[in-house]
Amino acid sequence: MGAVEARASPRATRRPAVWIGALAVASLALPALVTTPFGMDVCVRVLLFAFIGVAWNLMGGYAKQLSLGHAAYFGLGAYTSTILLIRFGISPWIGLVAGGIVAMLASLPIGWLCFRLRGPYFAIATIATAQVLMLLFLKFRGFAWGAEGTTIPFLGNAPLMMQFSGKAPYYYIALALLALGLLTTYLIERSWMGYYLVAVGEDEDAAQAIGVNAPRIKRDIYLISAFLTALAGTFYVQYIYFIDPNTAFSFNVSVEAALVSIVGGIGTLWGPVLGTALLEPLSAFLQSWLGSSHAGVQLTVYALILMAVILWRPTGLMGLVSDAIRILRRG
Amino acid sequence: MGDVLVVRNLSKRFGGLRAVSELSFAVREGETLALIGPNGAGKTTSFNLITGYHRPDAGSVTAFGREIVGLRPHHICALGVARTFQVARPFGNMTVLANVMTGAFLRDRRVDAARRRAHEALEYVGLAPKEQALARDLTTIDQRRLEMARALVTEPRLLMLDEVMAGLNPTEVDQAVALVGQLAERGLTIVIVEHVMRAIMAVARRIIVLDHGQKIAEGAPRDVVADPDVVRAYLGSGYVHGC
Amino acid sequence: MVKIVNFAQGEFVMIGMYISFFLATRLGIDPLLSLLVSMPVMFLAGVLLQHVLIRRVLGLGDMPQIFLTFALSVLLMNVALLLFTANYRTVQTPYTDASFHIGGVYVSVAKLIAFVLAMALSCALTLLLHRTDIGKAMRAAAQNRDVAMLMGIDTNRVFAVAVGLALALAGAAGSLLMPFYPVYPTVGQVFVLMAFVAVVLGTLGNVTGALVAGLMMGVAESLGIQFIGADSGLIVVFGLLLATLALRPSGLFGGWAR
Repeated sequence: MGAVEARASPRATRRPAVWIGALAVASLALPALVTTPFGMDVCVRVLLFAFIGVAWNLMGGYAKQLSLGHAAYFGLGAYTSTILLIRFGISPWIGLVAGGIVAMLASLPIGWLCFRLRGPYFAIATIATAQVLMLLFLKFRGFAWGAEGTTIPFLGNAPLMMQFSGKAPYYYIALALLALGLLTTYLIERSWMGYYLVAVGEDEDAAQAIGVNAPRIKRDIYLISAFLTALAGTFYVQYIYFIDPNTAFSFNVSVEAALVSIVGGIGTLWGPVLGTALLEPLSAFLQSWLGSSHAGVQLTVYALILMAVILWRPTGLMGLVSDAIRILRRG
Repeated sequence: MGDVLVVRNLSKRFGGLRAVSELSFAVREGETLALIGPNGAGKTTSFNLITGYHRPDAGSVTAFGREIVGLRPHHICALGVARTFQVARPFGNMTVLANVMTGAFLRDRRVDAARRRAHEALEYVGLAPKEQALARDLTTIDQRRLEMARALVTEPRLLMLDEVMAGLNPTEVDQAVALVGQLAERGLTIVIVEHVMRAIMAVARRIIVLDHGQKIAEGAPRDVVADPDVVRAYLGSGYVHGC
Repeated sequence: MVKIVNFAQGEFVMIGMYISFFLATRLGIDPLLSLLVSMPVMFLAGVLLQHVLIRRVLGLGDMPQIFLTFALSVLLMNVALLLFTANYRTVQTPYTDASFHIGGVYVSVAKLIAFVLAMALSCALTLLLHRTDIGKAMRAAAQNRDVAMLMGIDTNRVFAVAVGLALALAGAAGSLLMPFYPVYPTVGQVFVLMAFVAVVLGTLGNVTGALVAGLMMGVAESLGIQFIGADSGLIVVFGLLLATLALRPSGLFGGWAR
């Protein structure tokens, strides 16, 4: 049971396999039920940002390394696959993996620098690294089109080049990515690595005293987290057919990754999914209702939700779920 | 039979304060050594230096014949040196069992094996009934037991205990003494830092006395306690424990 | 000082700037004079902030502290956006464009005044922290809250003063900046990033260190703009930060980066 044991959260209910199965069926069938492109877009975004949140959660939720610069890897993934595609004609499917590898390689020196700091200073250092990358890509037009960015050449329906005419295939890819992220988290959670991560998150020094190689664990989870986040970056470019430094290394991506995890339940398997399920539709709704006239409303709402969660329910939605289950059990 | 731990000329300053100064001693295999001294004598700092939490300014520490100065704490633990902390540091949001399992993974990464060994360690210290409790909900003394179990499950050859008896009532002290005695009987080499004289006299075969970072006496308990330098060092430090 | 890294600090400067701006445009009060208004107002706001929000996340760990102040920062930025729109606002004063010549270099009067007053406030702060009782109480509480409480220090009150001061200084900074810097909702972001770099460079917790580091950064940025290009300022500053992290992780003046 892994880190379920580790954090004494109650077992969901009998036979989780049934629930997972039901969920799988529902999510596979969903595209058939959603009629509007707008609705499908929301669904794709929910899946994508849940995936980004899951990737962030591995580091930020379990090991409590609160990074606010994950956009760095999102952007690196996006740019790697785009450069490979446009400059060398290589399929984004390969670019997907290549982007992940580039991100992993980048996470090594970035981690080496940033892990020298702890807590909020670590967070700000990560923000700085994402900013540096954005500035670099803004300035240097040579290989990466500078500030204007570029669009992906439109190929119509070209599955081998990760382009599709309808939204449904994108939905399924995003679903697959999310499943990958959840599976990774699940496997780590119940293995020795899960325990080590939580231990490092709780008390790094005490963990070292019982043999936990904290620096290595932090480095390793950063590798995994960066890799996954980069996959999301590649997907996103293919989805919106456009890339530029501001989108790719957007601070909003970094924030959203952390936000959905915290609101949903930091350090839990399903937390980011719950968080995204709440926040993304909300944001889409706000956007369509208010349009772009009230530019600050969405973020204001996000900020208020975050503050509310921290002040009253730091364990997030998953915490609410656990409490509800506990109350139901008793009564 | 040899020296499990050899400390040579260990020194450390913090700013203008000389916390540890030219400390040298050796610990023989299987013996129980007590490190005592007034508050601020440098006992915990020595522990931190030996287990890799601070880098000494000078001196060397060899464990099992291997130089360990400069190694990180987890590496030192892997070599077989385990320690507890003066103030217990459990992983609060994990269960008691999970806490100890984390330690168990050092020797065997399989989850079921770790769970079994963790359970055994908890049985040994008497915490098994509270396995599923969250570590942060434990009483102080139970947290101490947890520290002990966690350290033991890493299968150390040298165990370093930092004031495990502090704040215990006489019954609890006896229990702790018995536990330490059992560990010593199993052949474990033990270094303890303590203030509780009764416990020290009961478990320690040899005592080293520190004052202001320096070793001022060393020998069998009987002799050390009578040593005039030791008595002088303690005069005025004003704690009372039965002896 | 409260041992909480306040992500919203930049936004407090922004608020100070807006206060100054409105006092200047609506009431014709010179920004430098508006210091006298904005500082007490911000101080009170700080006390309120500590009481309502900060008090609840003390000692709770990194996540709540980071994300609470972070959320606050986002909140303030976006409320400002809603209230004031994203337009750049500036204040013109008689000395805004004034400058004088020293040895081949132009020195802007407004910036010089800001510099002098900022240094004065910094010195005042240092004196406060080291010479007064309340200052010592703040430092004590920052180092170890529990022990401070045992010593009879009302940590809540002390932290309220600390936060109040932090906001008051931010407000002052805002007033000092107004004569030569435009205000817009996200202006605080750059400031807080710079402040952070200064703190890390100067060694965490060391006020004098931060000051010196800040000066160094200003020089570095100007040199960068001179020799590399107009918007290289940020890169130079970040470069400094990353170089320091790589070579001397404990800051330029020793101490622990923890």
